[in-house]
Amino acid sequence: MSLRVLNPNAEVLNKSAALHMNINAAKGLQDVLKTNLGPKGTIKMLVGGAGDIKLTKDGNTLLKEMQIQNPTAIMIARTAVAQDDTSGDGTTSTVLFIGELMKQSERYIDEGMHPRVLVDGFDIAKRATLQFLEKFKTPVVMGDEPDKEILKMVARTTVRTKLYEALADQLTDILVNAVLCIRKPNEPIDLFMVEIMHMRHKFDVDTRLVEGLVLDHGSRHPDMKRRAENCYILTCNVSLEYEKSEVNAGFFYSNAEQREAMVAAERRQVDERIKRIIELKNKVCSGDDKNFVVINQKGIDPPSLDLLARAGIIALRRAKRRNMERLVLACGGEAVNSVDDLTPDCLGWAGLVYEHVLGEEKYTFVENVKNPHSCTILIKGPNDHTIAQIKDAVRDGLRAVKNTIEDEAVVLGAGAFEVAARQYLINEVKKTVQGRAQLGVEAFADALLVVPKTLAENSGLDTQDVIIGLTGEHDKGNIVGLSQHTGEPIDPHMEGIFDNYSVKRQIINSGPVISSQLLLVDEVIRAGRNMRKPT
Amino acid sequence: MKEIVTIQLGGFANFVGSHFWNFQDELLGLAEDPHADPVYKNKSLDMDVFYRAGETQQGILTYTPRLVSIDYQGSLGSLSSCGSLYNEVQSDSPHVVTWSGSVSRQASEPRTKNLFLQSLYEEQETPSVLGNGIKKKNDDCRSEIEDKDIVESLENSVQFWTDFSKVHYHPRSLYELNGLWVDAQEFDNYGIGRDVFSDGLRGEEMNEQLRFFVEECDHIQGIQVIVDDSGGFSSLASDFLENIADDYTNTPVLLYSARGPGSYMKNTSQKESISRALHDAISFSRLSAFCNLIVPIGLPFLSQSKVSNFLRIEDSKPYHCSAVYAAALHSMSLPFRMEQLGPNEILDVSGVVDFNGVIQMLAGQARQNMVATLDVAMPAPPLTGEQKKQSLQESLHSLTPEVAEDVEDMYAVEHLTIHGALRSGTNRATISEVQDSVYAAAQNSLTLPRFSHLSVAQCPLPIPLPFPSIMGNLVGQHGEILGSPVSGSRRGSLDVHSIPMAARLRSSNAILPFIEKRSVNLHRFGINRGARGSELLRSWGFGKDDLEDMGEGYSKMIKTLDPHSLVSSDSE
Ligand SMILES: Nc1ncnc2c1ncn2[C@@H]1O[C@H](COP(=O)(O)OP(=O)(O)OP(=O)(O)O)[C@@H](O)[C@H]1O
Ligand SMILES: [Mg+2]
Repeated sequence: MSLRVLNPNAEVLNKSAALHMNINAAKGLQDVLKTNLGPKGTIKMLVGGAGDIKLTKDGNTLLKEMQIQNPTAIMIARTAVAQDDTSGDGTTSTVLFIGELMKQSERYIDEGMHPRVLVDGFDIAKRATLQFLEKFKTPVVMGDEPDKEILKMVARTTVRTKLYEALADQLTDILVNAVLCIRKPNEPIDLFMVEIMHMRHKFDVDTRLVEGLVLDHGSRHPDMKRRAENCYILTCNVSLEYEKSEVNAGFFYSNAEQREAMVAAERRQVDERIKRIIELKNKVCSGDDKNFVVINQKGIDPPSLDLLARAGIIALRRAKRRNMERLVLACGGEAVNSVDDLTPDCLGWAGLVYEHVLGEEKYTFVENVKNPHSCTILIKGPNDHTIAQIKDAVRDGLRAVKNTIEDEAVVLGAGAFEVAARQYLINEVKKTVQGRAQLGVEAFADALLVVPKTLAENSGLDTQDVIIGLTGEHDKGNIVGLSQHTGEPIDPHMEGIFDNYSVKRQIINSGPVISSQLLLVDEVIRAGRNMRKPT
Repeated sequence: MKEIVTIQLGGFANFVGSHFWNFQDELLGLAEDPHADPVYKNKSLDMDVFYRAGETQQGILTYTPRLVSIDYQGSLGSLSSCGSLYNEVQSDSPHVVTWSGSVSRQASEPRTKNLFLQSLYEEQETPSVLGNGIKKKNDDCRSEIEDKDIVESLENSVQFWTDFSKVHYHPRSLYELNGLWVDAQEFDNYGIGRDVFSDGLRGEEMNEQLRFFVEECDHIQGIQVIVDDSGGFSSLASDFLENIADDYTNTPVLLYSARGPGSYMKNTSQKESISRALHDAISFSRLSAFCNLIVPIGLPFLSQSKVSNFLRIEDSKPYHCSAVYAAALHSMSLPFRMEQLGPNEILDVSGVVDFNGVIQMLAGQARQNMVATLDVAMPAPPLTGEQKKQSLQESLHSLTPEVAEDVEDMYAVEHLTIHGALRSGTNRATISEVQDSVYAAAQNSLTLPRFSHLSVAQCPLPIPLPFPSIMGNLVGQHGEILGSPVSGSRRGSLDVHSIPMAARLRSSNAILPFIEKRSVNLHRFGINRGARGSELLRSWGFGKDDLEDMGEGYSKMIKTLDPHSLVSSDSE
């Protein structure tokens, strides 16, 4: 008798223990990331075992620096990082939302409700929320000339959650101009065409946009000019070094002369290529104040550098593969793969090329270009972690601008969307749902409030008061978010607080998926194991 | 000068690398030390091949390895990922300039430096030489006792490869993989490393680390890669190598695929052993696709192999095992930096050959076999005298697993390096004596290779202080083989100061069993109908076509070595 009773109980116990473990893991991760959220969030300084310091306010970066072991937490972290990979933002919100869905569910489960019912409710609520988002979003018309003001507001909203206001505001223009520079009509925006370069030098406010390109290397010959104006730019991928593809070791030859002859022949080939480049230079630069710069993806060896230097040419070797593309977009011309293709038409143009040296690090600036479709954001800062901080923010900001252009819409921030969606679910959707799945809808609706609640909390405000204030104002028919200073309802539109539509959409989409898996614990255990294997 | 850039990927690879750079560092130190044996003056070994001269922003000159090392986050132990030279002074809680809101500080437990690292650190406080080549031995200001304690503490406490490293690394050399969220034990198969390279900006960042070192080379002779191929690092490495092959088309790549002792632990379930077998098959196939010469190294039980005739190794310690592989890699790397001196100089090296030369020699001859085996004699036997029981060639034993012994192969090609060889007792042999002795032995040998190249240097393997105590009690102070054992079972860096070495890369059909095993397993568990591992391979991202291509690759490799083989796709 006792045995029979014990057994099923044990099973139930195990199951519910597993469920609670999941809930706790989700809550735990939420706790870690909570203080990050919003413009009043806390920046985290992580000191590693060797004393290394990392600073981050970004959910994505923080997660990656953490050594997470709990499989449930890993699942959530993966979802959040995937969120960042696809839309570039919203990592923290994702983790908070998942944590809150689990927390809300816990209440009902503890009252004996079956997780399945909650999950059904989540499903309904999710679909309804996505539909609501379509109505709620603010369309942005992207004609030939996008509305710069709205782009700036979106960029500013994001970047201000990562950097102090003055610096954020300074970056805003840089970010918008960078994206507009590389944008081509009717083509997806390739953010890789914005180079992000950094220098450990001076101050964060010296960060600037270079219309043109900054390369992290210089010429390798003492006689080449360090500064030149009116430059033709040859972008090429041609080996200008002695080739090693052929057998060249001594023992393969019957005698030394044979080897010498072989080497000389190879050398001649390289010299020939150099000669062709010099010929082109002489052709286009005859007798005036023009200069000639070669930027090569392959190597250039010292004898070749010598020849080029003597011809007055500046030459850089081993340029990044991606810079071939960027250079052409910045300076014009085309990338050349063989000296046979050399014509004046392949050459690009830059008004100014100069080198900047910091210790062993060299930078080459290719500036004053005519009609750039590629540019560089040059980040400066006194130390590595400041630079890393700004770099993260720049990446976020670029994504935000790109998303806005591609979404042709934005969403009012500062909790406005979450409050509105929650009220919609409670007031409109819930009553259309049959039976106990209603409670799932309610749990989902309340979970949405985690965003305004946490924003309030991070501002040091009473969350209850803030939520009551917001919902009250909402029910009067106003769209409101919270003021980060007072917690009072504000109109985010007036304040210029906008989030990305695609980011919000993805949070709403992925949150419930993962929470449902975690709630249906059988699947969780399996999923947990699967997750360790890449999918 | 022709530079070599080294890449180390994964746990055991970095252990091997750590010893390798310690040897280089020791050579640098000895070359500068007026009291050191003149044999270390190394006029004809150009260290710039492996090292770069640089300068910090403060204008301090540095000399650091041309190296990119990649490993898990946290694997650097107490070493900062910025290295130790270019550090800005980091205060404990720096002022956060980018954020005006609140700051929370989370510190992981500080990693305490072991005795060895402490002593290195102290030495640095009294600045003598910045950069590498700080000498560790015969230091007047330090007592023998202290060194003894250091050696003992290393024996007992090494956990990370940085624990026994005395080398200063450039900040661009150290790259940690973060956000993996798997612990080392789980990162144990090809599939699990699959997206690691392409995730986020990782691949891009790794390419950039490497480009930094390649760009400054005037004339790179090649890229030397050591990969821990026991798990997920295999796939990370093959993705990386694929990029390298694209970016540096004509730069030869020599790959050592290395196995640590731990990776051979017995598999508990059948499922695991299938996974293991498939990992081995896929890993080798993929890695060999993107290099010019591949050398598998790593014996399951190094201590019981013939390599350890004069060594006392604990198989469970990566610190021990990696030292042997590193010594062999060091020997093989000597010819790459030999300089041909004028005809009137005294010869202390011979047999210069560059990266491409070795690759062409071994993989590019009539038979296009790109898999080589590595043999080592540590210490190398004396040329003559009482302790000469075997010829040099006979004393070489394989560090490559699963090879056939005593094969007859008319087409074998080999490249042998001998350095620091002793004539008898502790008398160093001249270059020509070594050459004569090797040629004489070859004349008497029954299995003559078709082609053999010999490189000789006078300079032995110097034993740095942090070298593990793995020498047996028949090894003397200069690596000579003693007539009778000395007391104590294990001898370390305080007892043995240098070792004569011989190492050999060989292209021969001795490697056939290694390749065949992988080929058979690939078919049996992956390709054949109803193969039990096909599901697993799908989850690793390999479709039927990929697998068949790999199978074909294996058949080709086998045919190259054994034209008469009936390559069967199904040998059950
Ligand atoms: N000035 C503001 N006042 C109130 N709320 C704001 C303001 N600016 C941004 N927010 C809100 O802050 C939230 C975004 O915060 P944050 O950028 O820190 O987190 P995240 O985007 O979820 O994650 P992460 O950026 O770390 O990937 C959004 O809900 C946004 O509406
Ligand atoms: Mg954000």
